[in-house]
Amino acid sequence: MLKFSRNPSRGHDVSRLTLRLWDFTGTALLNLFMFLFLIAYLSPIPFMFIASFTPRDQFTNPNAPILPSERLKFNYDGKDRIIYYVPTDDGVKQWALYKPARRSSEFIDPQHPEAGPIHWDGQWRLLNPVYKFSPTLDNYKNFLEITNLPLLFKNTFIVAFISEIGVLFSSIAVAYGFSRFRIPGAKYIFFLLIATIMIPSNITLVPTYYLFSGHVLNWIGTWLPLIVPHFFGSAIFIFLLRQNFKSIPRDLDEAAMLDGAGPLRILLSVILPQSIPVVTTVALLHFFYIWNETRMASLYLGIRPDLQIVSFGVQRSQSFFFTPETLMVGALLVMIVPVIVLFLSQRFFMQDMIITQIEK
Amino acid sequence: MDIVHRSGIFKENKPVKRTRLRQEALVGLLFLSPWIIGFIALKALPILASLVFSFTDFHMLNPGETQFIGMANYAHFVRDAEASSSLFGSLTYFLFTVPIEIFFALGLAAIFTSERLKNKRFSRTLVFMTSIIPATSIFFIFQGSLQYAKRLIFDPLGLPPINQFSLLLPFMALWSIGPGFLILQGAMESVPNEIYEAARVDGAGPFARFFYITLPMISPAIFFTLVINFTGAFGGAVLLDRGYILSFSLSPMEGYINNVMFTEANLGYASALAWVTFTITMIITIMLFRSSRRWVYFPEEDTDVEI
Repeated sequence: MLKFSRNPSRGHDVSRLTLRLWDFTGTALLNLFMFLFLIAYLSPIPFMFIASFTPRDQFTNPNAPILPSERLKFNYDGKDRIIYYVPTDDGVKQWALYKPARRSSEFIDPQHPEAGPIHWDGQWRLLNPVYKFSPTLDNYKNFLEITNLPLLFKNTFIVAFISEIGVLFSSIAVAYGFSRFRIPGAKYIFFLLIATIMIPSNITLVPTYYLFSGHVLNWIGTWLPLIVPHFFGSAIFIFLLRQNFKSIPRDLDEAAMLDGAGPLRILLSVILPQSIPVVTTVALLHFFYIWNETRMASLYLGIRPDLQIVSFGVQRSQSFFFTPETLMVGALLVMIVPVIVLFLSQRFFMQDMIITQIEK
Repeated sequence: MDIVHRSGIFKENKPVKRTRLRQEALVGLLFLSPWIIGFIALKALPILASLVFSFTDFHMLNPGETQFIGMANYAHFVRDAEASSSLFGSLTYFLFTVPIEIFFALGLAAIFTSERLKNKRFSRTLVFMTSIIPATSIFFIFQGSLQYAKRLIFDPLGLPPINQFSLLLPFMALWSIGPGFLILQGAMESVPNEIYEAARVDGAGPFARFFYITLPMISPAIFFTLVINFTGAFGGAVLLDRGYILSFSLSPMEGYINNVMFTEANLGYASALAWVTFTITMIITIMLFRSSRRWVYFPEEDTDVEI
């Protein structure tokens, strides 16, 4: 009896060990794969970061090193001379070019400048210059000189804040109406709402532009076309909020109703406290939307650079620059705010999103 | 929890219930009113207005001299090679990028559903991050990294030079998987564990479980992602909008309509083009919804029209 019971237990130990080993290998491989994938997936971002610190013309020069660097120079005879790798009979020397000529040139040895110019036969244009690592802030200075970034940031935050209030206020109210009230025909209204998500924006573009233009409302050159439409709610946000409101058990509202709470009170003290992740998600999606907004900004704020918002403003100044390094600075500065906001809010963003009915 | 209402607990006093229902409907409509007003003022009327414009020679510069010209704008569209190539471009963009997006989003979502993955929240944010980068930045990021890729990978390996524009679309598609990925991952995580356990007991391997349980169960989420991507390709509302770069729009048709509108100021023709796009989008949307009955799993108990 004793022997019989010991054998299986030993076998069990062995299989448990192999299972744990297998499990460990699987976990390690999965995490390694994810790590490598993320590195490959995000690799363009560090390159942009490097490029933004790169001195002028180095970025497009195929012989220059990858990291931001500048050519090493040596001051001789009152002028900065570029140092090159010069192949000589005694190996490769780092000499400063003193008198360039087509077939042969004169160099200075920076270690022994007192020795005077050294004659070297060969084409100096084929030599590689000596670089040293030196990141520069010039691109940032150039970019900020032309672009009034603080003003663009300020404008965007004002537009985002005001329209955020509008879009949250009305989308929450409408989603609450769809999720909690028995309204005759609500099903069809909801279907209409879903249909509007799929309507291409350019079909309404001409009439709304005409409406906002000097012919009717005269809102061109103001923030109103960017703000007011959001006060009527956004179909896709209403959809997201409604799906989540519907998943909150009705028992809670009924308990509150018996305590004498009205519909508004139920929304504020029962529904909203339980919907913090989805409300945060909607608020963030709207913020990203305004931050990336270029369509409306180009139509309605093109004539008022002092009211311009960030995405279009940066895009506009990008058309003045012709050096890719400075363009990289603009690209970096305009994306940094949404990325920080996303990381600060990752605890809530898109957590427990309910898109379809099967969930929960 | 409609049961309380439907089970008839309150059925004894019918007249009271009727007034209560009317009151409830009124309060409900009050809550819906912002959207209804916005729908009429900013969607329904403009759509009708643009239908009317599409039959006129409405011009930004002289709106007073507008005349009805019948179907002339639509006849012009049929002959306009640039318009049809833009339309074709939008369609190809959709057909080309959506499979990439859905494939990668599904794969990543499947990995993220695994219990074994560490640091999930952080990696999730990293994957999503690329989708919120403004269009203003993304083109330069792309160009810059190509420059470095050329010097670090292509030149040392002696590979032929890269054509920028052939890589731009896959790059943009890959960097836009964020919303789809999060939606699919949320759906995958909510598939009840008991179903997997039952399948495991019956001897289903991981691949069988993925294809016969996960995919059918999350088919509504896949459908939603598909619709969202589709509307994005034609300039509809999207979960995340990164805007566009000056004249370079991800939706060629949208770019062309804007061009007709603002460079040529020909609002009548722009409206006609918009209506053509609108009609095509609606036809494809209806086809998508029709096809969804075959492959999207809708639980029987819910009678609402859900996506």
